[in-house]
Amino acid sequence: MMKRSFIHLLTCSLIAGFILPETLAQNRASSPDILIRNATVLTVTRGTLPNADVLIRNGKIAGVGKNLNAGNARVIDASGKYVMPGIVDCHSHSMLDAINEGSLSVTSMTRTNDALNPNDVDLYRALAGGVTTLNLLHGSANAIGGQNTVVKIKYGRPVEEFFFPGALPGIKFALGENPKRSNSNIQAGQQRRYPATRMGVEEVIREAFTRARDYKRAWDEYRAAVSRRDQNLVPPRRDLQLEPLVEVMEGKRYVHAHCYRADEILMLISLANEFGFKIRTFQHTLEGYKVAKEIAQHGAGASIFADNWAYKIEAYDAIPYNAAIMTRAGVNVSINSDSDERARRLNIEAAKAMRYGDLSEEEALKLVTWNPAWQLGIQNRAGSIEVGKDADLAIWTGHPLSVYSRVETTLVDGEVFFDRQQDLARRAEMLKERAQLEQAEPNRPPAAGASPATPRRRRPTNHDDDVWEGDQP
Amino acid sequence: MPAIRLRILAALLATVCAFIPPPNFVNAQRNAVDTYAITNARVVTVSGAAIDRGTVVLRDGLIAAVGANLTPPSDARIIDGTGLTVYPGLIDSSTTLGIPQPSPTPTPTPGGGGGGGQFRPQTSAFSAPNSTQPPGLQPEVMAEDFIKPGGEQIEAARNAGITTVLTSPRQGIWMGQSALINLAGDTSQQMIVRSPVALHVGFAPLRTGTFPNSLLGVFASLRQMLLDAQRYREAQQTYERSPRGMRRPSQDRSLAALLPVLDGTMPVVLYADREREITRALDLAQEFKLKAIIAGGLEADKLANRLSTNKVPVLLSLNFPRRTTAALPEADPEPMRILRERVEAPKTAAKLIAARVPFAFQTGALTNMADFSANLLRATENGLSRDDALRALTIWPAQILGVADRLGTIEVGKIANLTITRGDLFERNSRIAHVFIDGRPIDLRPETTGGPARAATGTWTLNVNLGSGDIAVTLVLQQEGERLRGSIQGGLGSAEIANASAGPSDEVRFTVPATFEGQTAEATFNGRITGNEMQGTVNVVGRAPGSFTGIKADAPAQPVASPTPPGDFRTASDAHAELSGTWTINLLAGLQTFPGTLNLDQNGSSLSGLLQSPFGTTKLNNGSIDANGFHFIAREPVAGRVVEMAIDGQVEGNEIRGTVRSEIGFARFTGTRQKMKGM
Amino acid sequence: MRELGNAAMLQRAHGSCGSAAPQFGKAWPFRHPELKNPARLCLAIGGAASNSTAVRRKAIGFPHWRAAKPLLRSATLLQKPAMLCSASVLLLLCLALSLSPTISAQQIGEPTRQHGVSLPRGVYAIRNAHIVTVNGPDIDNGTIIIRDGKIDAVGATVNAPAGAQTIDASGLWVYPGMIDAGTSMGLVEVGQGANGTVDTTEVGDLNPNAKAIVAINPHSAHIAVTRVDGVTTAVSLPLGGLISGQAAIINLVGTSPQEMSVVSNAALVINYPRAGGGGGGGGFFTPEQPPNLTEAIAQANRQLDQIRKMLRDAEAYGRAQDAYARDKTLPRADQNVLLETLVPYVRGERPVIFRADRETDIRSAIKFAEELKLKPIILGGDDAGKIASFLKSKNVPVILTGILDLPSREDDFYDALYENASKLHQAGARFCISSGDSGANVRNLPFYAGMAAAFGLPKAEALKAVTLYPAEIMNVADRLGSIETGKMANIVITDGDLLETRTHVRRLFIDGREVPLTSRHTDLNDAFKNRR
Repeated sequence: MMKRSFIHLLTCSLIAGFILPETLAQNRASSPDILIRNATVLTVTRGTLPNADVLIRNGKIAGVGKNLNAGNARVIDASGKYVMPGIVDCHSHSMLDAINEGSLSVTSMTRTNDALNPNDVDLYRALAGGVTTLNLLHGSANAIGGQNTVVKIKYGRPVEEFFFPGALPGIKFALGENPKRSNSNIQAGQQRRYPATRMGVEEVIREAFTRARDYKRAWDEYRAAVSRRDQNLVPPRRDLQLEPLVEVMEGKRYVHAHCYRADEILMLISLANEFGFKIRTFQHTLEGYKVAKEIAQHGAGASIFADNWAYKIEAYDAIPYNAAIMTRAGVNVSINSDSDERARRLNIEAAKAMRYGDLSEEEALKLVTWNPAWQLGIQNRAGSIEVGKDADLAIWTGHPLSVYSRVETTLVDGEVFFDRQQDLARRAEMLKERAQLEQAEPNRPPAAGASPATPRRRRPTNHDDDVWEGDQP
Repeated sequence: MPAIRLRILAALLATVCAFIPPPNFVNAQRNAVDTYAITNARVVTVSGAAIDRGTVVLRDGLIAAVGANLTPPSDARIIDGTGLTVYPGLIDSSTTLGIPQPSPTPTPTPGGGGGGGQFRPQTSAFSAPNSTQPPGLQPEVMAEDFIKPGGEQIEAARNAGITTVLTSPRQGIWMGQSALINLAGDTSQQMIVRSPVALHVGFAPLRTGTFPNSLLGVFASLRQMLLDAQRYREAQQTYERSPRGMRRPSQDRSLAALLPVLDGTMPVVLYADREREITRALDLAQEFKLKAIIAGGLEADKLANRLSTNKVPVLLSLNFPRRTTAALPEADPEPMRILRERVEAPKTAAKLIAARVPFAFQTGALTNMADFSANLLRATENGLSRDDALRALTIWPAQILGVADRLGTIEVGKIANLTITRGDLFERNSRIAHVFIDGRPIDLRPETTGGPARAATGTWTLNVNLGSGDIAVTLVLQQEGERLRGSIQGGLGSAEIANASAGPSDEVRFTVPATFEGQTAEATFNGRITGNEMQGTVNVVGRAPGSFTGIKADAPAQPVASPTPPGDFRTASDAHAELSGTWTINLLAGLQTFPGTLNLDQNGSSLSGLLQSPFGTTKLNNGSIDANGFHFIAREPVAGRVVEMAIDGQVEGNEIRGTVRSEIGFARFTGTRQKMKGM
Repeated sequence: MRELGNAAMLQRAHGSCGSAAPQFGKAWPFRHPELKNPARLCLAIGGAASNSTAVRRKAIGFPHWRAAKPLLRSATLLQKPAMLCSASVLLLLCLALSLSPTISAQQIGEPTRQHGVSLPRGVYAIRNAHIVTVNGPDIDNGTIIIRDGKIDAVGATVNAPAGAQTIDASGLWVYPGMIDAGTSMGLVEVGQGANGTVDTTEVGDLNPNAKAIVAINPHSAHIAVTRVDGVTTAVSLPLGGLISGQAAIINLVGTSPQEMSVVSNAALVINYPRAGGGGGGGGFFTPEQPPNLTEAIAQANRQLDQIRKMLRDAEAYGRAQDAYARDKTLPRADQNVLLETLVPYVRGERPVIFRADRETDIRSAIKFAEELKLKPIILGGDDAGKIASFLKSKNVPVILTGILDLPSREDDFYDALYENASKLHQAGARFCISSGDSGANVRNLPFYAGMAAAFGLPKAEALKAVTLYPAEIMNVADRLGSIETGKMANIVITDGDLLETRTHVRRLFIDGREVPLTSRHTDLNDAFKNRR
């Protein structure tokens, strides 16, 4: 009874776009056990289990198998339905009030978690597509961009609840047309920014890491002097631009590098080898299939579009077989959205790897679950259905790799954050609430009021490859 | 004409103040003795219990005495406070008053998309000489260097009863250091109460195309400068300890200006409205152990717990959001997020109290001061007690801004800033009667010349034509900015108007249930005001559209709309029979007596009149009626300044008695009603 | 040589292009990328600025030199737009100085072999197939005979004629080729940074004579890439201005537009002037975004008047010509190709496609069509589901291009656009489903239909929505859209449900020619998949 009311509240508030603090309190008090009963469970790492149950306790997966004892758990009957791990989107700009600091070519001092909007409605729409985790990346306007944030989509919760525990911090790099500004309009009075060639992009990154190396030395020398008890020491300036690069060289921070062409991929690999760091993921990697071997040797993952191509010159050689070729070459491949729109149907994007290149069901599923989890260093908590892992799950009406399937319920840490039936049930109330709100005095249109804004034609979805400048409108 | 008025008033005042050594009233202000006593007033000290009939003595700019049974010092100018309430001067805890505003930011072209509107120069921020930082990132900017005394906005604030404000520039990221100023004084130096008070921080990108050009860059540059300042402090200290053998660290005003912020001796005022904006601001403050104050705070209640635990005060804006756009079928529906926000805004204050979050009100750059009192009222109608609302305008801002020892209450020794109202501050029909700043009275702009935002206010005689001859209707309107209240009486029955609003160019629109030809139907009035005339169209459901014209009567009306308790209405209409008429009176000024007549004309709760005496005729405006009787304020411009006379009286049957007061003396009057013809 | 010249000019004038460039197109990231491209303006009006030698040199090499003509025409035609245009001419002249390097499809990257050049028609017998006829019941173990480009016979008991190539399709499914009615196939190769490959948007607002069929590049890599996934036919639409031009229905194989053409000038395309400001997809040359909605509506009405006037002129022109044909004593009116081309549309003989998404725009577009007695089709239709019964009552068909768009308003329900088709179906309104993509991603058409099916549209309807319904809406159902005797032999053989993502196309016939399942993508795949 208690739980029911909570679920109701939760869903109401989810749909309403915010959660009442009391609801939160209530929820934390009694995070209910849940038993998902009699589903086809796609564990991703341990095969497909027909007519199996998944038991959720304290937000973790407590059991997977047939006829588990529900105990006092709330039972979700999933007969005929499919359960898969929550989708991990390794390239997103959702919930960001600002995406690019486009002014400089090295903006490693910026942090996406300074600009998070936990109420971005597109988060809810992603949940409705079975997505539970996002890698929130800085835009691709700079050779070295800002620091990323890995979040669980706890839509409507206070932002601090979003951060994915234990996810290794990362940073965005970008190669090719975007950092060299091939396709961006130079505004009146604006300087043409360096670099304008792929040569310059390499030089910018090399220069930054060279400075970072000296910066590290300066601090090492200072600490040595301190331990020698030298007098009148003034510490070196703390440089927020270089610190993350030092962390990269120390292996404490992942590099997520936006790239397209084979040559720039190889460029960054050799640069990384030279400065002794590893690239965790190449993002987009449209020509990754041309240098799959080298990517695999470096040990980097590749986070790509399924079949997106020809939207600009550097995307003209992209092919939908990319995922299959790189997978077979031993590259950890994930399929990302880079788009609040595409994020809602990554299951279909994954299935394209079966259409083009004949990956197996399990390989295709991995492209949006275990592989991206690995790319973000959260594979021990997310990306597959195993006992002990976080209960980030989605229940589908059919096989998630089928175009005809739809998400019924999405859970994050064992809590329902999307439920289609509740969503449908709330719609009438939504419209009623709107009608009431519109009647409220402060919402009435004043006589001779100003003219409203012109409506948007269609909603922008993709951020990165628009070379998005600064904040969203 | 002025000459005549002058003569008339001169004479009248001369008699009125006959019993005290009559100063030359024309030079009264210049020779003014700086001692005032407000007597017989209700004194709300805020520090303690309110005194029902108390006296406040102001001397030399300070509060010299306050209490129930005080004899005013003999040199004091007496202001009989009967019917008045005395409050500590109201404090607006966040403004840009006195600071010249740069030209507004050009708005980006709509539909331009992410790349589009982004590159636009921000309004040029103030810049300090020899700064190491670009404008907008210069914490060394001082508001006190830019403050200019006087001006429309300052006057408007004083007319609303505001005596003291915190003021700072609003451009850039490090906006600059604020000053707390009294809204009177010939020089900015005289105005300043305390400076600097706090360092103000905004999070809007500079938008100059250079770093920081986005919210991401804003936080990065704030962090870097705070870190640089920490190192700057360390370097300077180290160098001061032993300059020899150490390279001299270079001076940096911008970083130096951050030091008091770093050691918590100076608070930072962080502008943040939405929950996530406040969270970001608090995170930054926590990261560098800054003494944070949130300004704006629209959604502060959503973080009430964190704010109260960390004892972070909020300067809560009274500029509640409301819809400003007209309804167009082609427009997208407004997001529920926005609709909710507007409804929730007035509830925030009460929620902060409940969560023990210290806060003070700010007007939030309200353009129309009428909204200040109106929104204050909405806050009290949404769970905020009047006492707390008053504290949030007096002692709480004084505490948050570190001046509780000199401002915020009516206590001996504190700065003599007083806001004196006729009627309770939180009553819709209350008015600011006097404002004292630094112990001196402030000339208040007469409300009747309140500008176009009040053009509709008054009693209108309408001729409504619905195709069956003219129908005479009396329309009483009270306008506050876009808001409009009122009622109709006469040929269309008596009812209150609804869905009423007033446009910037004096359009009025309202609906009212109109009763005629034995039926009641919804009538929609659309009219335009030009001066004292109004004309427009009337649409009645199920009838051909009609038209109307109207003329405004002299006396501006007091509001009679729903928010006023029905009691007032009754008093008014009951009093109708008692007040209207012609009264034969004697004016007793000192030892002399002068004959005169008083004509009173009451309409609803509005009252106008004429005071005739051997010295001439004075038109009486702003008439109001309450349990204590009737009240007029008569203002006469004399030698470039307005002298105000307050006329208060009571009626018992056919007897009338009352007082005529001005800041330089008073007279009494008694009288009887003239028999009307046929009675 | 020319490239060098251009490159040099690009260097010189780089800033000016960006600075003068209007903002547009952000809202349609992938569907019409060229909208993001101010630089292409520079190129497009090369001819308009041909007094500059540099520009003339460039103009010679390219077809765009004709671009200025519509300007002059519309100028002679209507006074008001003439003002507009001349204003834009000035803008263009300054833009013209900054030219970006021009690249055609064949120039990008390694030249790859051409696919499907002059394929032979043959006689084929597809046997033991599960035939999804779409218009009728499925036929299990059926046979299809293809001859002279047509479906010669289809049925459970059909005998293969002698000499027919027999294809054993046991275990496989046979479908009619899919049709996407909302593309710009062949008019765009690379939207961003390769302006020379973009031919969607003419200069000026009124270009009824901009005919897609003229500019469709039969060797565009998009064409093979699209067909090998089972989309055999596409409607290719011009985009720009107010009257964008005329759309062509093409089969996705052939070495010339004429070979590909099913209907060369199938429909007139109008960007219905919308409250959103400007025209539709294109609309560079409309005045810059209005400051507010009132302005926007006023602007939209002005634009509508331009369109109305031109269509009325065309109607009068048609009558005058007819009258003269009957009675030579009448004064002879000069020919006006611009009006001439509009006559069949203003007479309702051919459909007019209105690009409109919002409820108010759709309603007024239909009202406008009634006023001028046009035969309307709505393209876009994001709000169509909200007014399904209205559309049904008006019998106006909708080409849905937004199924996989984000709902445009933040309070819209998450499935508002997924459900759009199902709502129209329930109301009995006519519709079909399109990718709305300019070309590169048209191959995803089946997944748009699949998503609609996941949200309430019956699977059979979803299939019709990408086969028979687009054929009907574009008036080619007598030739396309189902597997029926006598229809054009556009046939796809798959190993599963046509709309399923994991399904593979096994054999492909277009216009009775077997088309190899190769494309730029399969080539690159073959070239690199075994690289060690």
